[in-house]
Amino acid sequence: MFIKLIDVKKDYLSGKVVTPALRGVNLEIKRGEFVAIVGSSGSGKSTLMHIIGLLDKPTAGKYLLSNKDVSSLSDDQLAYLRNEKIGFVFQSFNLLPKISVLDNVLLPTLYSKETNHSKAKKEAISLLEKVGLKEKITVKPNEISGGEQQRVAIVRALINNPDLVLADEPTGNLDSKSSKVIMEIFSKIHQEGKTIIIVTHEDNIAKYAQRIVTMKDGKII
Amino acid sequence: MLKTFLLNLKLFLLYSSSHKLRTFLTTLGLIIGIGSLVLIVSLGNSAQKSIAVQMQKLGTNLITILPGGSEEGKPASQLFSSQEITTLKYEDAQALKDTPGIVALTAYVRGTVVLNYLNKTKNVLFSGVEPEYLLVENTQIEKGRFFNEDENESMAKVVVLGWQIAKDLFQRSDPLGKKIKINNQNFKIIGVMKKRGKIMFFDYDKEIFLPLKTAQKIILGIDHINFIRAKAVNEKLIPLISTYFKKTLRYRHRITEAKKDDFTIKDSQQMLDIFYKTTNTLKLFLAIIASVSLLVGGIGIANVMYVIVDERIREIGLRKAVGAKNSDILYQFLLESIILTLIGGVIGIFLGILAEFLISVIANRFGLLWPFIISWPSIFISLFVSFLIGLFFGFLPARKASQFSPAQAMRYE
Repeated sequence: MFIKLIDVKKDYLSGKVVTPALRGVNLEIKRGEFVAIVGSSGSGKSTLMHIIGLLDKPTAGKYLLSNKDVSSLSDDQLAYLRNEKIGFVFQSFNLLPKISVLDNVLLPTLYSKETNHSKAKKEAISLLEKVGLKEKITVKPNEISGGEQQRVAIVRALINNPDLVLADEPTGNLDSKSSKVIMEIFSKIHQEGKTIIIVTHEDNIAKYAQRIVTMKDGKII
Repeated sequence: MLKTFLLNLKLFLLYSSSHKLRTFLTTLGLIIGIGSLVLIVSLGNSAQKSIAVQMQKLGTNLITILPGGSEEGKPASQLFSSQEITTLKYEDAQALKDTPGIVALTAYVRGTVVLNYLNKTKNVLFSGVEPEYLLVENTQIEKGRFFNEDENESMAKVVVLGWQIAKDLFQRSDPLGKKIKINNQNFKIIGVMKKRGKIMFFDYDKEIFLPLKTAQKIILGIDHINFIRAKAVNEKLIPLISTYFKKTLRYRHRITEAKKDDFTIKDSQQMLDIFYKTTNTLKLFLAIIASVSLLVGGIGIANVMYVIVDERIREIGLRKAVGAKNSDILYQFLLESIILTLIGGVIGIFLGILAEFLISVIANRFGLLWPFIISWPSIFISLFVSFLIGLFFGFLPARKASQFSPAQAMRYE
């Protein structure tokens, strides 16, 4: 099993108030699956994605990634896994505004030990071409549309050739036309063999996935 | 590694250029601190150099005997005493005159007198000296002659004018043979000194020169002298001559212990050493004051770095999400703060040098000998200090940045 969560709990602490976000989640995802996590806002779906993406640690429970318990890993080891094995796409794109599209795409390669820079650059350009941004590689993110920015973010997620791509409401800030383009790209990536997990609250986005996981009040229903 | 460094550098320059005023204002403390540090050190160097050059003008191989004792390596007590010490006498100077190895030796008394010629009245400094003065201080007569031994012994009322005094009182007419009033007594002008310029704080061209005994008895009415100065044949003989002086004076003053010496012997090198010691202390003191503004500057840097970190929490979260380790983020922000302080340091150094240059131009315009010296050690030290300030005051903000959990940073609005 690629991803296995066993009774994962996550509490947020603000001051002395403990807010449970996940109340015991059990989930298995196979390598190569395309899964949508849906639910209303506050259901815990983003928290779940952060834990799967190693951005956050569970308060309790076990998380096995490629059959390995990640709870014992150090911060540096987690950073390594995020860099090499996982690609992220966010609702608000999270591109660095001051640098070019190409430099944004290459950001993960800066933190990767094995990257050959000129090879990475070639790869970035070819990926940008594939998503139709060949003409935009030198421009700044604020000079292109939201849909184009999200395509840049997807290319950034793919640059280190990860096994797992996580997307948190990737179409949340986009119109329906751009959303369709983005989801078709995800489908294509999935066809190329990557495991994809998308968090969304829109049914027409979720339908691109093979499997839909619904969350409510911190639990999978 | 290099690529990361270059991209981070580029990003930093882009970010700070979009907040030019804020960046400038927060580095201002550092700029002022570094600038004043550079200025103080080079001003100190210029002052020392200027005085060293002037002391050479006064003559080399000089040995000065001051009244009153002193501790080893310290200035003579006379320099700090408000009361005149009267332990040196004219006869002491005479007894030292046949010391082997000296070119010449003269006793000095100094003071001020009122000078009167026709309707012009002037307060001037005078030196009462012996005829050997010309040889000791390596100076010359322009017109007429200096007084001789007979005139000294007989307390003749003759005077030699400094170059500027002669010019002020007589313009183009010949002062030789004319009578002027000194403290209401008639004196005959027998000579005019060659132009000599300012040495240390004395303007020798604005002084007048009287025979020692005339000055001592008629003008001042005293029994002692202010100091004795001798010129050695060469530098190597100075220690030997000093020892001879010491022995003779101890014998004459009936002193048996060195501790009880009522005189102090200093040669030009020793005077220079004392001068350097005193001014170095002053320099250090001023540098410490300037360092306080560096501390304030450093706090400014820490402050702006906290602001920058807060503004870029989402960026930090993103970088961590794509694989940046805690140490990558720490280095990134440390680099930014060090670059910030280095830029501030360079601007400060530049301003300090500019200020020093302007001061030297103005000082020279006013006739002061003031060399413009760029002190390379102070520049390198300033750069290093800037680097340290960046490292030290950037550390806490950078560490704060590095320790956000990625999810926490991504959620931050």
